[in-house]
Amino acid sequence: MRKIRIRGRCEYPGCVEAEALVSPKPLQGFANVNAERGYTTERNHPLFKVPYKGKVLVFPSPRGSGGFMVYGVGPNKPAAFIHTASSPLNVLCALQAHVPSMTDFERDPMEVIETGDLVLVNADEGYIEITKKD
Amino acid sequence: MVYLTDDEKRMLQGEAGKIPQICMQYLVEMCEIAGAERLVDLDGTGDMHTPGNVFSAYYSFTLEDLEELAATGAQFKIPTFANKSPFPEEAPIHGWEHCNACYKQDKNCRQDDPAFHDMAMHEEFMRLYRKMGMLTSHSCANYLTMTYLPSIGQHCSWFESSQIPYCNAVLGARTNFDGTFATCFLGKAPYYGMHITENRYGTVLIKTERLIQTDLEWDVYGFAVGEAVACDVPVLTGTAKPTTSQLQKLNSAIHTGGSVAMYHIPGSTPEAPTIEWAFGGRKPKREVLIGERELKQAYETLNFHTTDVVDMVYLGCPHLNIVDLMRLARKLEGKKCRIPLWIMTNPWLYDAAKSMGYVKIFEDAGAYLMSGTCPAAMGAVPEGVRNLAVDSAKQAYYITGCYPDDDNRLQVCYGSTDDCIDAALTGKWHGEWR
Repeated sequence: MRKIRIRGRCEYPGCVEAEALVSPKPLQGFANVNAERGYTTERNHPLFKVPYKGKVLVFPSPRGSGGFMVYGVGPNKPAAFIHTASSPLNVLCALQAHVPSMTDFERDPMEVIETGDLVLVNADEGYIEITKKD
Repeated sequence: MVYLTDDEKRMLQGEAGKIPQICMQYLVEMCEIAGAERLVDLDGTGDMHTPGNVFSAYYSFTLEDLEELAATGAQFKIPTFANKSPFPEEAPIHGWEHCNACYKQDKNCRQDDPAFHDMAMHEEFMRLYRKMGMLTSHSCANYLTMTYLPSIGQHCSWFESSQIPYCNAVLGARTNFDGTFATCFLGKAPYYGMHITENRYGTVLIKTERLIQTDLEWDVYGFAVGEAVACDVPVLTGTAKPTTSQLQKLNSAIHTGGSVAMYHIPGSTPEAPTIEWAFGGRKPKREVLIGERELKQAYETLNFHTTDVVDMVYLGCPHLNIVDLMRLARKLEGKKCRIPLWIMTNPWLYDAAKSMGYVKIFEDAGAYLMSGTCPAAMGAVPEGVRNLAVDSAKQAYYITGCYPDDDNRLQVCYGSTDDCIDAALTGKWHGEWR
């Protein structure tokens, strides 16, 4: 199995390994995410109604309202957040979630990670390690 | 590592009391996540959602804590304005008795029930906040009525997606998306992002094929630019000079399509006297064309309907300014709506509109003026509404998120204000992209 390691900046510390859920589009909060159900409700979104609980949620950037923080709320939240571009919306989300969160990678994780890959998010030591699914 | 002043350290250790300590802990953690090395003392204004005493599962204070604090004479450090009506119900401040929608579609939470409305105003918190100096303006567009705008370069702490670019790009003041009780009460915010001059320069050059000049064009264009640039700082060329209404549309749409905290319109916005200035003397990292194809695509994305039969019309995202209310009153005077039409404004403007007779004109036409909230914030439209017409990219794109299930989907017709008025009068959608 192929492993790829990418260094990045820790937003919120911690170390966790879980399966990746990749959003090819930016994620939007407020009315377009439902914390009780644990999925995005944005119409026509590739992750519409796809549960993110326990996943390493990988996305290019957040967009929209400060309600983006809802992705970090409640028992259905992801195991970790990985995103390419940073925005104050991610800061609000990490403050809610208190799970490992990373950004500002030396190589865009969106180019490497696919849904179903196993991703070790070691925010404490500033890297992610991707085990590609066969 | 976050550098704190001696005063800030004392606050963090609890020497100034419980609430200041919680606020400081929250701000230090925000600095760590954002990569900010220190806090900045705010000299502008604040904007926060109320009650806002629960920052997260890890940081909160109780009503009793706040009562104790207010009794000491403690004041918000900066002039602080309340964003939309109090959480979580976000009930209308005015016109609630006409609001036959249920909070998050829960039939036990009717917004037109007087007991529910009383509870939803959270006066137990608001009376203490007013005592501490908060201006309870309750709007997503507080800049329309605050009468005390931050000046160029002042450091602020605001909330609400549409207000962030308004503060940075239109006013030339400086804010990240972080307005909370902690920032407004202490008058401090993490020093990163939009507080730093370097981060405010343009990075992406936007071109168009048509002159962007109508309200609808600005709204569609804003959404398309936001989708194209995500978190970058676009420099908008090929546009007319926007009106206040068009700035409201641009700011709300650009932060719906993307996460745009700052943009420049050379020759129009204060930090961009020229294109070169807007880019800080550097070359753009890329150019993006928002041409005819991109505009049409955005318009189609914002529409989400299979039928042209409209059940209800909503105008007022962001909350309407007084000129928009005047124009609506003139257009609706003597007319009769066939379907419900809700018009939403800022609570302080509601009183102005009422004194000029607009509330009566609207009601005679079968429309209702409300204030302080919107359907997406309440999480619902009235029961039975299956197709809503709106003139706002932001509302069009959020409201359907409240109805994700196939057996309960909501459709949206999106177009110009005139398309929406026509729909209110005829019950049919005739809008199209031109």
